[in-house]
Amino acid sequence: MSNEVKDTGMVLKIGHLYPTLMSVAADRGNLFSIERRCKWRGIATEVEQIFVKQTPDFTKYDLILFHGGADREMELASRDIQAKAPSLQEAAEANIVFLSVCAGYQLLGHYYKPFQGPELKGVGLLDMHTEGGGTRFMTHMALECDFQESGRMILVGYENHSGRTYLGDNAKPLGKVLAGWGNNGKDNYEGAVYKNVFGTYLHGPVLPKNPWFTDLLIQRALERRYGHVELAPLDDAVENAAHDAALKLAQDFKGTVSAIDATPWRR
Amino acid sequence: MATEEIPEGNSSVGTAPSGFGRARLALAISAGKLAGASGRFFRIGGGTSLPGMIARRIDPNVLKSVVGASRARKIVITGSNGKTTTARMTAIIADFTGQRVSHNRTGSNMLQGVTSVAVNFADMFGRLDSDVLLFEIDEGTIPLAVPEIQPDVVLITNIFRDQLDRYGELYSVAQALNKMLEGLPETSTILLNGNDPQVANFGQNAKAKRLFFGLETTEIGTPVPEQSADIIRCIHCQEDLHYEVAYMSHLGLYRCPNCGYTLPTLDFAATSVQLSPDGEGPSHVKVRTPEGEIELDIPLPGVHNVYNAVAALGATMAAGFDISKAPAAIASIRPAFGRLEKIQAGDQTIYLAFVKNPTSFNLMLRLIAQHSAEKHALIVASNTVVDGEDFAWLWDVDIENIAPDIRDVVCSGGKAEEIAMRLKYAEIPTDKISVIHEREAALDAALKNAGPGGTLYIMASYTPTHELRRIMQKRGWVKHFWEE
Repeated sequence: MSNEVKDTGMVLKIGHLYPTLMSVAADRGNLFSIERRCKWRGIATEVEQIFVKQTPDFTKYDLILFHGGADREMELASRDIQAKAPSLQEAAEANIVFLSVCAGYQLLGHYYKPFQGPELKGVGLLDMHTEGGGTRFMTHMALECDFQESGRMILVGYENHSGRTYLGDNAKPLGKVLAGWGNNGKDNYEGAVYKNVFGTYLHGPVLPKNPWFTDLLIQRALERRYGHVELAPLDDAVENAAHDAALKLAQDFKGTVSAIDATPWRR
Repeated sequence: MATEEIPEGNSSVGTAPSGFGRARLALAISAGKLAGASGRFFRIGGGTSLPGMIARRIDPNVLKSVVGASRARKIVITGSNGKTTTARMTAIIADFTGQRVSHNRTGSNMLQGVTSVAVNFADMFGRLDSDVLLFEIDEGTIPLAVPEIQPDVVLITNIFRDQLDRYGELYSVAQALNKMLEGLPETSTILLNGNDPQVANFGQNAKAKRLFFGLETTEIGTPVPEQSADIIRCIHCQEDLHYEVAYMSHLGLYRCPNCGYTLPTLDFAATSVQLSPDGEGPSHVKVRTPEGEIELDIPLPGVHNVYNAVAALGATMAAGFDISKAPAAIASIRPAFGRLEKIQAGDQTIYLAFVKNPTSFNLMLRLIAQHSAEKHALIVASNTVVDGEDFAWLWDVDIENIAPDIRDVVCSGGKAEEIAMRLKYAEIPTDKISVIHEREAALDAALKNAGPGGTLYIMASYTPTHELRRIMQKRGWVKHFWEE
């Protein structure tokens, strides 16, 4: 990267929800991706970590990250997030950008009913609910998205979840499943969108190898504060190579419930 | 594999097989031995899991029959990290006291590799001439293997975030291990890592005796566990644990500020630890044991090898063997293949580090950072059934800490593109990163980067570690791994 990046004077304020509690699949890579891609364009970032028992005003952030965790962590987060719910709802209605992944995604819905055990309450930012399933989807995934800014683009990553998510009328799917299982393995859709609230089962982490999606989140987050923004182009050869490798895996493993069970001994 | 289907056994432990059963057992063992020998002859591998696989096809009870008929002490070592080195240390301590040890020492630790111990060491009639049977077993294989082995000692090294794409989540592995421990008879001994807040709580309702090992010093460690730490909340009340010190990942001296859950009294405790500052060892350690204090000089560097040595001491003592020769035994240990193994490649030096999860990767990076040599690197990860499919954990590795020192790095294997991208986001300039898929070409390019007399650091997942070693073996730089 060139050291002579021109400072744009813009600052992106990021709220990282439960950075240690909800961090099972190395999703901090999403934060790294946003931070570096801003830095390489002369956009400053400020990150605030938000832990249990804290109730900040969520409307002060431009972008909020909420990642995955195992059922035990999710239970804690479900209990704690109820105190944060009103401010989170206010932020969502104010078009603040959310990226939620896996258990974080599930908790932005109305509720999660595990296969065994009591129902976990969500915060209802996304009109959807999730029910635990008997089998776990653990495989490579690809989906096709269509946004105004980007046109038709492909998102790639890895899914690892037993929850089946069903969308209501006020949430739109993030994309159409090309390979993998997505929300519930039945309706061929994956993820959810409402205003600037995005939810997905994609790990990987999702942002580094989908730079177009990272930039879409950054742009929408900045435009709320600064009006129309043109993001300077970056050389994404490395990212696109990783994207293409992941897409190939998704195609190769299409139809498998567990990638590891379908994996060859040598490759 | 952890997921393979195992035919139901039908003979019970300790009963002599019938005439037909004896013939079948003999056939199974001979066929297994033959398979292992031809594997070595044709250089397709050390025959480390093949003998077990063939023998089980012929007689599914082969492991149960051979182990059940043996009077040897049976030690099982499992956990996420440290199994192979801990088993090697345990073996060498037992060996120094004159015990005859049978052991799956090459780290082939799924059911077939474990069965190979019985096949390789037993005679045609299934008789084992050993005093100690030492089994390193993958944590996912434990529920299948332990009922067949009926161990005297079970050692659990630690449980880290590992193989989520195989086992779904961390807690499912932990639950299966705990269930196994609770099924052990009262004549068995369980040896647990007391510094691991989850492992220390295992076997609460077990009939077997529980012993604990670990570190008990503030000379080393950090005040906060690293990002990849898994169990940083109390397993009873979910409150954030307070750490007086964290040694690696979530291992440390912890206490719950809410309910008071804390580590148990350690039976085998490293009370003083002096690590070598150059990242190459040896470490000087004082260990408190039920039989008094023992001082060890551990030739292998790093805090993880302190754990391995203390655990090995504990396992040997729990199995009823004398440990007075332990210092001499430990002093003679060499690294298992690929455990920061130092390899002379002409006038160049290679360090080969097998990395399989964020904890082991971070440990290796921390040691390498202490080395004075220029940092030329080769990082290789595959996606195969043993290496795993989901590689997200790479983003939990603290590459950022060593990134400024990296002169150049070659990425290889099926995950090469993901590695290159991870390095870019650690702000290693892209002109220092190259992707070369073919293994031998990648090795040669990385050695060229290191230059005459230079040092190359290789970090590789399981399959590429073997592949690279095979290339180096052909070049005469290392021996076959089964000869190590």
